[in-house]
Amino acid sequence: MDLPCGTRNFDYASDMAVLRTRTHWGLFFLLLVFIFTAPLYWSNYWLSIANLIGITVIAITGLNILIGYCGQLSIGHAGFMAAGAYTTAVLTGKLGIPFLASLLCAGLTAGIIGIVFGLPSVRVKGFYLAITTIAAQFIIIWVINHWTSVTGGFVGMKVAPASIASFSFNTEPRQFYLIMAIAALVVFFAKNLARSRVGRAFIAVRDNDLAAEVMGINLTYYKLLAFFIGCFLAGIAGALFAHWSRFLNAENFTLADSILYIGMVIIGGLGTTIGPILGAVLIRLLQQGIMYITPVLEGTFPTLPAGFTTGIGPMVFGLVIILFLILEPRGIAHRWTLFKAAYRLWPFSY
Amino acid sequence: MKKLLLTGIIVCLTLLVLLSPLAGCAPKPKAEPTKVLKVGMMTPTTGAAAEKGRVMGHANLDAIQYINSELGGVAGHPIEVLWLDSAYDAAKVVTIVKRFMDEGCLLFTTASSKEMSAAMEIANEAGFPGIACFSSPVLYRPPKHIYGQTPDYGDDALAFANFYLKNIWKGKSGKPKFALHLLNNPTGYGARDAFKAKADELGIEIVSIDEHTATTTSEIESLTRIKAKNPDVLFISSTPAPTAVIIKNAYELGMYPGVTIGCAHASFTKALIDIAGAKIVEGVYGTFPTVLWGENVPGMAKMTEYCKKLHPEDYGNMDYITSWAQSLIVAEILKLAVKNAGYDALAKGNPTSWKIVETQGFHKLKKYDVEGLQGPVTYTPGDNRLTKYNRIYQIVNGQIANPSEWVEAPLVEYEKYPWFGK
Repeated sequence: MDLPCGTRNFDYASDMAVLRTRTHWGLFFLLLVFIFTAPLYWSNYWLSIANLIGITVIAITGLNILIGYCGQLSIGHAGFMAAGAYTTAVLTGKLGIPFLASLLCAGLTAGIIGIVFGLPSVRVKGFYLAITTIAAQFIIIWVINHWTSVTGGFVGMKVAPASIASFSFNTEPRQFYLIMAIAALVVFFAKNLARSRVGRAFIAVRDNDLAAEVMGINLTYYKLLAFFIGCFLAGIAGALFAHWSRFLNAENFTLADSILYIGMVIIGGLGTTIGPILGAVLIRLLQQGIMYITPVLEGTFPTLPAGFTTGIGPMVFGLVIILFLILEPRGIAHRWTLFKAAYRLWPFSY
Repeated sequence: MKKLLLTGIIVCLTLLVLLSPLAGCAPKPKAEPTKVLKVGMMTPTTGAAAEKGRVMGHANLDAIQYINSELGGVAGHPIEVLWLDSAYDAAKVVTIVKRFMDEGCLLFTTASSKEMSAAMEIANEAGFPGIACFSSPVLYRPPKHIYGQTPDYGDDALAFANFYLKNIWKGKSGKPKFALHLLNNPTGYGARDAFKAKADELGIEIVSIDEHTATTTSEIESLTRIKAKNPDVLFISSTPAPTAVIIKNAYELGMYPGVTIGCAHASFTKALIDIAGAKIVEGVYGTFPTVLWGENVPGMAKMTEYCKKLHPEDYGNMDYITSWAQSLIVAEILKLAVKNAGYDALAKGNPTSWKIVETQGFHKLKKYDVEGLQGPVTYTPGDNRLTKYNRIYQIVNGQIANPSEWVEAPLVEYEKYPWFGK
């Protein structure tokens, strides 16, 4: 792993550490200070966006494990999030199960459903696997819409705020701390998973599944494990979304969302830990930017042709994804790596 | 060239990412000397419902411009609108309603029941009053801080049933047989719940309840079943495209003409006639909560002038009238609140101000005529529907015509029924 000029590791533990230099620790400390003090200077609006970004980071970190590390394409991630969201809504709202237990159940439910829909991955891959995961998206949403007695069907259902014992996460700052803590744990887990035996097996499966099998990697086990982990995290994200938004409707988990999540992973950088964070931050802030731009354009240019501003969102997202695929298919994470390498070597050019 | 382009993109995106959160830390601008009244308005200007949301947004803002420039604002205070695009996305709605509260808006409006569904829990908990255009009973039963601008989808059904019994069924013996064909979302379920609650009281027999999807292309199978039950009325609560499919299929099966067809207001627009064809929908009845374009009511001339001047492409669109009326109602509420509590009580835009807007604004509404554009607006304790009146129209020679008098839809306390919301 790259280290600044003149920095050396003398033992295995320091070589494996996530934070290895004083600069790392200093920046990490600053990040913690920034996160813990953010509610002091951010309005509820910006905290709500940060919360949405945090939830998205958790969801697409799962997707990144599935696609980026293990190479299994999934276009049903929003469906798996829906499974987690409704699980926690039903468990906490109708059965009175505590939030933490229901959060875990939400992850497990989505994970198990993920395994079921991941079974075809043993036989098929690529576009064929993509089609089977699209089926997951449609089937999960169909069940939610028609299991009216449990989910409220098309009408939807209300969700209480998350609470631990008597402490309720009923304000934006409290939700911010909860979501950021879980997002940090998830990112730390993903970082370590990628460096573990499991992570190396995932990468082997992704790079060449035949060679991986010849080396003794159990393809069925590791593919299904990837589906379980990826969907487990989607379920956790869905559960947090439910308690954050306070109202659930199947329309909140569409195929377009599933595709957008894939776009975020690609833009951020497939197969990197920081990629999902960068992708989620960029796309969510871009959405906010478009939210500002549309009314301004409407007001400033009243003679714009009908339908022009309505298409700005899809056009911008499409354009960003196309540009990244052409110019930087390895995503922003790769640019970040190049930037780090450059400043670490500076003033030398090589 | 590639490197230059890439660097440019990265610089732009980095600036966007870094500067956006800083907007949250920026010092708030000091209050304008003109002492504005701030309201939040969201419309789905992009996304799946953009074709409706765009027009509704135009109407909201055009009306506010009219109020500020020609009426001198509200009691001398201009209305400042924080208008945001929800993109018909629930997650965005959640962030938008929080921004409205953060930025001191006194109330907020939505343009669709989906937007208000996503916003209502947060708004109700904070006591932040909102007005839903196109509403469903689940939004305000039991009543809290969300109000319906127009009668809801349940009211459509009951207003039509009352009209039918009084004007078409009159004198016949026995109960008329109603068949319901409902969109599988709150638009349809609102009508279903209303009939469930009031059919016996009205003296109506419901012979079948069928559901369809927004993308349906044929309802021959369900209509064949319905035809066998020989209904007197086919009531459809849906959007224009599926309603057109159902009426066309009924025509093909020979059910219509014959059966009386009634439509809820979500579908009863020019689009229905365009999609189904004027010949097929001739004679179909429908409910709508506003007057028609060109009617002789006090507010028509000014609305038409602004629409033709600022957004001529929207002329003739009924959604424009609905949202123009919404802005007029917002102004009336603020006028009452300023009159009863004074501007200073509203200036902070905090929970205290919201409570004052509700108690001294919303709750003081009494027979406000909305310049004749929709039914009179009155607040009745325990009933958060600001308007209880619909009109019944009929399609004649390819035009929506024959407006009835305003038909009142009775209050239904849905929350008292164990099946409501389940």
